[in-house]
Amino acid sequence: MGYRVGIDIGGTFTDFALLKGAEVVLHKNLSTPEDRSLGVMHGLTKLAGIEGLELGEFLARCDAIVHGTTVADNTLIEMNGAVTGLITTEGFRDEIEYRRGYKESIWDVRLEAPQEIAPRRRRLTVPERLLFDGSVHKELDEAAVREACRKLKKQGVESVAISLLFSFVNPEHEKRVARIVAEELPGVQVSVSHEVLPRAPEYDRTSTTVVNAYVAPRVTSYLEKLVERLQQAGYRHRLMVMQASGGVMTREYIQGAPIRVLASGPAGGVIGSAHVGGAKGCPNLLCVDMGGTSYDMSVVLNGAAPAEAGWNMHHRYLVGVPMVQVETLGAGGGSICHAANGALQVGPTSAGSEPGPICYGRGGTQPTITDALLMLGILSADTDFAGGSFSLSPRGVDEAFQKLGAQMGYSAEDAAFDCWRVVNANMSQAVQRTVASKGLDPQDMVMLAYGGNGPVFAAIQAEDLGIERVLVPKASPTFSALGTLVANPAIDEERSYLAQAGGLDVERLKGFWSELEARAVKYFAEAGFAADRVTAKYQMKMRYPGQNWSLSFDIQVNTGIGDLSFVDAGLGERAVEAFNRRHMEEYGHIREGELPEVTCVRLVTSVETPSPKVLSGFTAPTVVAKATRSRRANLGDGYQDTPVHLGASLKPGSEVMGPAIIDETFTTIVVYPGWKARVDDAGDYELNRVAATAATRSAGAARPAIAA
Amino acid sequence: MTFELNRALAAKREPLPTTATVDPVTAAIIRGAFETVCFEAATHLGRAASSPIINQSNERNGSIIDAHGRLAAVSIGTPHLVFISQLTVRYGLQFFKDYDWGPGDIFVGNDPDFGGGHLPDYNVYAPVFDDQGELVLIQALQAHQGDTGGKDPGGFTLEATDIFTEGLAIPCMKIVHRGEKRRDVIKLLERNNRFPSFAGDLAAMIGAVQHCVKRLEGVVRKWGSEVVKAAVNHNIDHTEQRFREEIAKWPDGTYSADVFIDHDTLGTKDVKVHVSCTVKGDHLTVDLTGTDDRPQLVGVWNTFANSRGYAMTQLASMIDPGIVKNEGLFHAVDIILPENSIVHPPVNKPAALGSFHPACEIIEAICVAMSEVVPERSTPQVYKIGMPNAVIGFKHGQMWMDQGVDARSMDSSAVQGIDGWGSSCVGLGNLLLSEAEDAEARFPIINISREMTTDSGGAGQWRGQPGSLNVKQVLEPTMAMAWMVSSTHPLRGLCGGEDAGPYSNHFEVGTPNEYKIELSKQAQLPADAVIAYQHGGGGGFGPALQRDPEAVRDDVLDEKVSLAAAREKYGVVLTGTLEEYDLAVDAAATEALRRKMKATAPAAKAA
Repeated sequence: MGYRVGIDIGGTFTDFALLKGAEVVLHKNLSTPEDRSLGVMHGLTKLAGIEGLELGEFLARCDAIVHGTTVADNTLIEMNGAVTGLITTEGFRDEIEYRRGYKESIWDVRLEAPQEIAPRRRRLTVPERLLFDGSVHKELDEAAVREACRKLKKQGVESVAISLLFSFVNPEHEKRVARIVAEELPGVQVSVSHEVLPRAPEYDRTSTTVVNAYVAPRVTSYLEKLVERLQQAGYRHRLMVMQASGGVMTREYIQGAPIRVLASGPAGGVIGSAHVGGAKGCPNLLCVDMGGTSYDMSVVLNGAAPAEAGWNMHHRYLVGVPMVQVETLGAGGGSICHAANGALQVGPTSAGSEPGPICYGRGGTQPTITDALLMLGILSADTDFAGGSFSLSPRGVDEAFQKLGAQMGYSAEDAAFDCWRVVNANMSQAVQRTVASKGLDPQDMVMLAYGGNGPVFAAIQAEDLGIERVLVPKASPTFSALGTLVANPAIDEERSYLAQAGGLDVERLKGFWSELEARAVKYFAEAGFAADRVTAKYQMKMRYPGQNWSLSFDIQVNTGIGDLSFVDAGLGERAVEAFNRRHMEEYGHIREGELPEVTCVRLVTSVETPSPKVLSGFTAPTVVAKATRSRRANLGDGYQDTPVHLGASLKPGSEVMGPAIIDETFTTIVVYPGWKARVDDAGDYELNRVAATAATRSAGAARPAIAA
Repeated sequence: MTFELNRALAAKREPLPTTATVDPVTAAIIRGAFETVCFEAATHLGRAASSPIINQSNERNGSIIDAHGRLAAVSIGTPHLVFISQLTVRYGLQFFKDYDWGPGDIFVGNDPDFGGGHLPDYNVYAPVFDDQGELVLIQALQAHQGDTGGKDPGGFTLEATDIFTEGLAIPCMKIVHRGEKRRDVIKLLERNNRFPSFAGDLAAMIGAVQHCVKRLEGVVRKWGSEVVKAAVNHNIDHTEQRFREEIAKWPDGTYSADVFIDHDTLGTKDVKVHVSCTVKGDHLTVDLTGTDDRPQLVGVWNTFANSRGYAMTQLASMIDPGIVKNEGLFHAVDIILPENSIVHPPVNKPAALGSFHPACEIIEAICVAMSEVVPERSTPQVYKIGMPNAVIGFKHGQMWMDQGVDARSMDSSAVQGIDGWGSSCVGLGNLLLSEAEDAEARFPIINISREMTTDSGGAGQWRGQPGSLNVKQVLEPTMAMAWMVSSTHPLRGLCGGEDAGPYSNHFEVGTPNEYKIELSKQAQLPADAVIAYQHGGGGGFGPALQRDPEAVRDDVLDEKVSLAAAREKYGVVLTGTLEEYDLAVDAAATEALRRKMKATAPAAKAA
């Protein structure tokens, strides 16, 4: 059995996870922003070296290379995508500028417009019109399409989005426009809405298609370059690429709609979480990833991280493709702490990694959360930081918090402590919002924490949210790379179909699903998977009349593609039952006597591929670990001499009672008072709440000492 | 009777009595928890409701009121609803003993004469008690309902002369008693609504409020009610202090403006809203004395609570957006609403249309008056549309209504340094507009066009966003309702910027029967009739002759400004053609033209 390699490119580091048999080897090296494929090749050479092989030989033995990329995200952050034009239906030129009325703040009249990807001069319309049933109301004016091409050419357009009304019902006009654009503008990339996002309504579809057009040339050329390098170096299989939906697929499939890789990095982390959580017997997880700039929250339910294709705003643009839902709060180690009008605020501005927190000693002057943690003794200047890349320096930190404290009327240490409280509260509120919009209660979940700062706050977050159990996997620093390795090849696509549940057209339904099946069969075959290995989830999306948001649910799950015998006269009734169950789960009520309507049919296909086996359980004998040293730290109950453990010294079976701090290679785990940490058979940490009194203490409680 | 009640409802309330003190960070943490609960209320309702106006347009708002009836926290939604909710609750609180308030109860109120806005804005609210059984907070959730059971579907009756024409008015009514739904009462509400989906909306509102009460009980338990009360007091005081600090920065003086509505619904012209804003030290008085009070006016009566709330909507947009929104805002400002005027009507006046006009003219007048004082935050939080064109029909015996809140651009004014953008003012940024592909799958209509109209944004150093022309065809005979304003008196430009383009509205377009709606109309449209609503643009800010010529060139390329207007309004001379995308500013010719225009215009500018 050959190797499998998972690769995740982040802003600072490129992470690798190599799977051989059941064993995983992790590696990290610096990213190479000028040409990111170089950093990938460096790391692969390194992995080959670890295995004692030449790169060529190593790659020849790789069954799969799976890759998560941020190139689409970076394009939108830097706003340096292609010169993009839009061709749309006459009368609908301005939909993407209206944004359905949406503005990010309802109070700030100085909010500015997002930079336009396709300004009005490059949004051109053509006479044509379909109706909601796909019938032609007005014929396409081909001469007008050619004229639009002429205008786009004049403006140096490199990428063209085509989005016509109701093209998701009948793509004929869009196809004809695409043909003409290909003739008139050779070499220009074309994105058609019925392929990028075949569903209503027009703003969602058009916006997604325009963003796709904007990022497509960069994503495509990046992947092509990487594939070329890999092939030249000896890799023989197809490159698999991570999608935001949490599945991986071939580069060829991705290139049909490169927007699918947007936000795929965080998705990888969630998939990794689901895998580890599943192995530990925790199917319902609240995953929190706290790094330098943000606190990312997501939910794993019944062992899966469902991808939703809803109102996904990314970098101020709506992108409607299915995405694993990851909510972000601007709270990380680099978040800047400041006093504004008598209130203490943390973030959302971040000092990033350059200049970074004051204690990085790279010229940062504004106090950050990492600095506050140093003040509190949770981090230490005497220990290696970030895997030994450097040490923290206390120089200037105390002065900065004195200044902050002076504005609030108390000491530097109180100021640092309040920063810790504020960021905790911000994160708790964000978690509440995240789970509330899914109708969940955090108390029913297990927390899984990763990212450099996740384990610092995990237990106190859990306590605040009423969670009793926290998992901190040892592999957490390279979790996204592990996730790409765990993620299965998957295709998740849907087709709009508006109908009353009582009057389903069985033949049309079969038609939609056959079409989706055919696409899945084709791409899985190209990736080397036969149709009979594919798990096919046939889903429907429904809502009650008048509702705007639909719920999706499985109506049939098959092994192998092609058996549509479940699509029969009884389907409507079964669908209504399944929908009502979902609605009950989600909102706690159903509408008796109201017949729901169908909005979409969806097909989610995937193939199981080998993934790392994660051990679990506590069979090793329990040994209460003895701390080798201690430091003065405030874990919520004031400064105390606090035991400190080295992660490397802890073995399966080790148990650490709070209050204590565990210094791990890439992170710090805080065992708050009233909590205990144990190391399981895999070497991963589990934190449990042991004292019931804990709830009245710490982040939750008011601090009368400060009130004075 | 009403005026006395209104004075009592609006009077400043005492802080909550408490033995505890609280530090600012704890107070902020508790406020964060409140805001999250409000968010959950609105989210829950938005996802579960059935009416497009709630689940799609987000016309809903969660707020938390304290035991004294003070606004403690607000959520997303629209500012226009945010500042109204506490008065309905204050009215209900008067009957705490009488109506036997207790844990698990839920009330509803919507009565314009008893603290409410217009009838469709149902306020559903529920008390939160601590472990000792003391009332601490009230969770309120408001949402605009599709119908109110009056003469006309939707609750907007153009010729109504009293509230009873518009529908069912509810001062304060218990709908859930100690956790049990009062089925008889709920049936009465359902019976007084034309939409079958109303039952689902009401159930969703009740569910959302119950969820939030449970969450708030958790918050009170966790921190203790004394600390929670201290936090509420602290946060309200802090907001008042922050607002006063902003006011103190403004120069002392009295700043006035008159704004006019074209006419009332029956044609009485030039309805006036007058405001005088007096800044004195850290105190602001907003006095609407001098506003129209002609008793014969029809349709332009805005409820007391609404007038108060809309005035605050504009003021809140003119201060640091980071200032927390709560009762403290009202402590820093005196709002004087003259009795018997259209902003403080006598009892039993109709209320539905007043929420559009004069409500928005209150906002506009305050904005115009204060624009020289706070230019960097002066942009009116208005909708100048008389009423969206609603079309109503019947299918299988059931009524359907396309409310006409379609994707479009209207009233998006510039502010100093920033052109108008998007589709409306920021205050409406949470109201998601309806899309053609959703509407056409539901209703027998075709959306023909909804693009911006060149030159309909007010010219200025910073330009108003052009308004759009929404053209729609009905495929079956349908009823359509329209009320036209902002044609004679379009949205005002600010600080030398020009007024926005006017609204206009035509029915049965392209047929021999075509007509323009001058005033208002309840029309029977034949099948295939086309209606075309030209929305007004946003107003300009600052003199157009000072706009960067390159920005004008960009506007011409984007067809937001015509070549002719570039020259005539902005004094910009361009070479090349739009057709060839080679427009360039002729700097010398532009400078000469602008010099000449300035020389001939100052008299007009000064006036």
